[in-house]
Amino acid sequence: MKFQMSGCSHHTAPVDVRGRLAFDPQQARQALSALRKRFPGAEAVVLSTCNRVEIYTAADTPATMPSHQQVAEFLADFHGLRLTDIFEDLFERTGEDVVRHLFHVAASLDSMVVGEPHIVAQIKQAYDISCERESNGPLTNQVFQAALRVAKRVANETSLNEKRVSIPSIAVADFATQIFERFDDKRVLVIGAGEMADETLRYLVDEGARRVVVLNRNFAKAEQLAAQWNGEAAPWTRLEQCLTEADLVVSTTAAGEPIVTRAAFDRIEVARYQRPLFILDLAVPRDFDPAIGECLGVYLYSLDDLRAACDRNRQEREKQWPAALRIVDQETARFMADLNHRATGPIIKRLKQGWQQVKEDELRRLHNKLPDLSDPVRQEIDQSFDRLINKLLHPPLESLRDESEHGIPHALLEAFKRLFQLKD
Amino acid sequence: MLAGISILCFAASYSVALALEVSRLLFRSRLRGALLLGFVGAGLLAHTLFLAHRAATGGATPLSSEFDWYLVAAWVLAATYLYLTIYHSGAAIGLFILPLVLALVAVAEFFASQTPFAQNRASQVWGAIHGVFLMLATVAVLVGFVAGVMYLLQARRLKHKQLPAQGLRLPNLEWLQQLNTRAIVVSAIMLLAGFFSGVILNLVNQRREIDHFPWTDPVVWTSGLLLAWLVGAAMFGVAYRPARQGRKVAYLTVATFLFLVLAIGLRLLLPSKHTPDRPITAQIKSAQVSFPLAAPRPGGLG
Repeated sequence: MKFQMSGCSHHTAPVDVRGRLAFDPQQARQALSALRKRFPGAEAVVLSTCNRVEIYTAADTPATMPSHQQVAEFLADFHGLRLTDIFEDLFERTGEDVVRHLFHVAASLDSMVVGEPHIVAQIKQAYDISCERESNGPLTNQVFQAALRVAKRVANETSLNEKRVSIPSIAVADFATQIFERFDDKRVLVIGAGEMADETLRYLVDEGARRVVVLNRNFAKAEQLAAQWNGEAAPWTRLEQCLTEADLVVSTTAAGEPIVTRAAFDRIEVARYQRPLFILDLAVPRDFDPAIGECLGVYLYSLDDLRAACDRNRQEREKQWPAALRIVDQETARFMADLNHRATGPIIKRLKQGWQQVKEDELRRLHNKLPDLSDPVRQEIDQSFDRLINKLLHPPLESLRDESEHGIPHALLEAFKRLFQLKD
Repeated sequence: MLAGISILCFAASYSVALALEVSRLLFRSRLRGALLLGFVGAGLLAHTLFLAHRAATGGATPLSSEFDWYLVAAWVLAATYLYLTIYHSGAAIGLFILPLVLALVAVAEFFASQTPFAQNRASQVWGAIHGVFLMLATVAVLVGFVAGVMYLLQARRLKHKQLPAQGLRLPNLEWLQQLNTRAIVVSAIMLLAGFFSGVILNLVNQRREIDHFPWTDPVVWTSGLLLAWLVGAAMFGVAYRPARQGRKVAYLTVATFLFLVLAIGLRLLLPSKHTPDRPITAQIKSAQVSFPLAAPRPGGLG
């Protein structure tokens, strides 16, 4: 039995190389069919995300397993690239390292943002596609199902993926949801139409925000962003009125000085009757005078405030790292022991069959010699023989199991074959 | 079997639940939520059975003594906690409510040796109405206080841009503000109803020439003060819009709680005709002893 993984990740390859090697779901299906054709004796799964492109292969015998070179050639051929252009960016793992690597990836320990939860869904999708194309097999089934279990265990037993580390996600999930019970009745004011505003809006809409107003000096840009989120665009001259009506403000302009001063906000505050206002000032330099944060009911967060929260969360995640690694190591050892033990299965089966045959022959001879035995006595004798066989088999099987924890026990299996004259 | 249930049974359950809530601050656990619900549920069940058994064996309303009055208030507050915990499963609401539940049980225990109200008085309609409304007003004030304290803590954390501390997740400000506002309105209405039903009860007693309270009784005027404060707070909110927002509502509920503590303190310290003066046997602590509600005595409800 052999596992192999060839591919690239954000650790080994720049984003443009990863982009050229990536597979969309349709391409992954085609790639699996092509792999099946080129390497008929091997199982295969293609995992392709923004940060990694990895081809997992497995086979019962080394002879049917494609080499790293062959998989690299396949990748180059499939994407119409020259092997020399990509080979340096690829890396490989074999045997137990493949299992450990996949468990790391599934537990999001190998992700660019450690602990991000999407990777589990991506692995599941990759595995589902391989099942659909029938390029999976017993080995890939076992290792991918185990990887999903490991991901679940790490998520349950550590808080690795609980702490958010992107600024918009922290702003919405850790602060906005602590202020508001619901978002569908809240007025969200977006000032500026930058990328950060767009990303923050995505999280807000996920939370249920429906009433979005976009304000920008360039009205066309405001209309464009508003249309994207089913909101409305407003002219810059309505800034104070929009601030009076808003519950939540996301500000990302490129203005050189604050667009809302404390003096201007004092007028707005009177008109708001101290209604709570959550302001995300994501602009550099700041759009809102920091003194506004002192007003009653105003929760003003700058980019620096949120970045500090991100850093604290990142540190919290790092604290969870050793616990997550311990789980991955335990699960890898357990998986390999199971796998190795399974390799001893045919020998154990033959050994048991041989002894069973001896037992049955002896019982038949005994029953023939003692035909007058009652049924209860016969059953008692049968059970005695069964117990005897089980007790005799227990020590050698236990030794096999123990040895399997350190790899396939080839020497012990060979000894078994010779001692008990087990034929292949 | 019901006769064996004592105050200790549910007080212990609530105490374990409080210990579990405190453990949130120390470590994570997947089992804690289920254990919490289990202990509070068990405590509430024992509490219910205790009150039901007393009502059944004593043959009077559950508010027929101060002991029962505080225990029923504790029961309503514990039930409110259970509901809020299910609604906001991750929030550490119990850290704030359970001490109050245990405090009410402790105050009940303080009154355990006092005689109940005479059955001919306790069973009067106005007396029962008076007791129920005052009890509900007290619970509403306590819920408002808890919401107010949580609001102030949460607002302070958000003003200082701090992430939620390990285990100390609190409900969001909007929900807490709604709870605060409702608590003020409900407690004002309940206290109003309780106060006026008490006035009517006293007038009825005066007319029947049964023993009645002087209007200078400390419980009467502290209740009147609390009512005036609550009505004033509610009117202030109607007249001045910013008073309906955030921290102002929270401060109002905290101040209302301080008024309530003052009223209960005066109730305990000053001589009042509300306070029964003839002790009964200490066996009241356990429901297995029948409660001598039939014994006539002067005084009235709560």
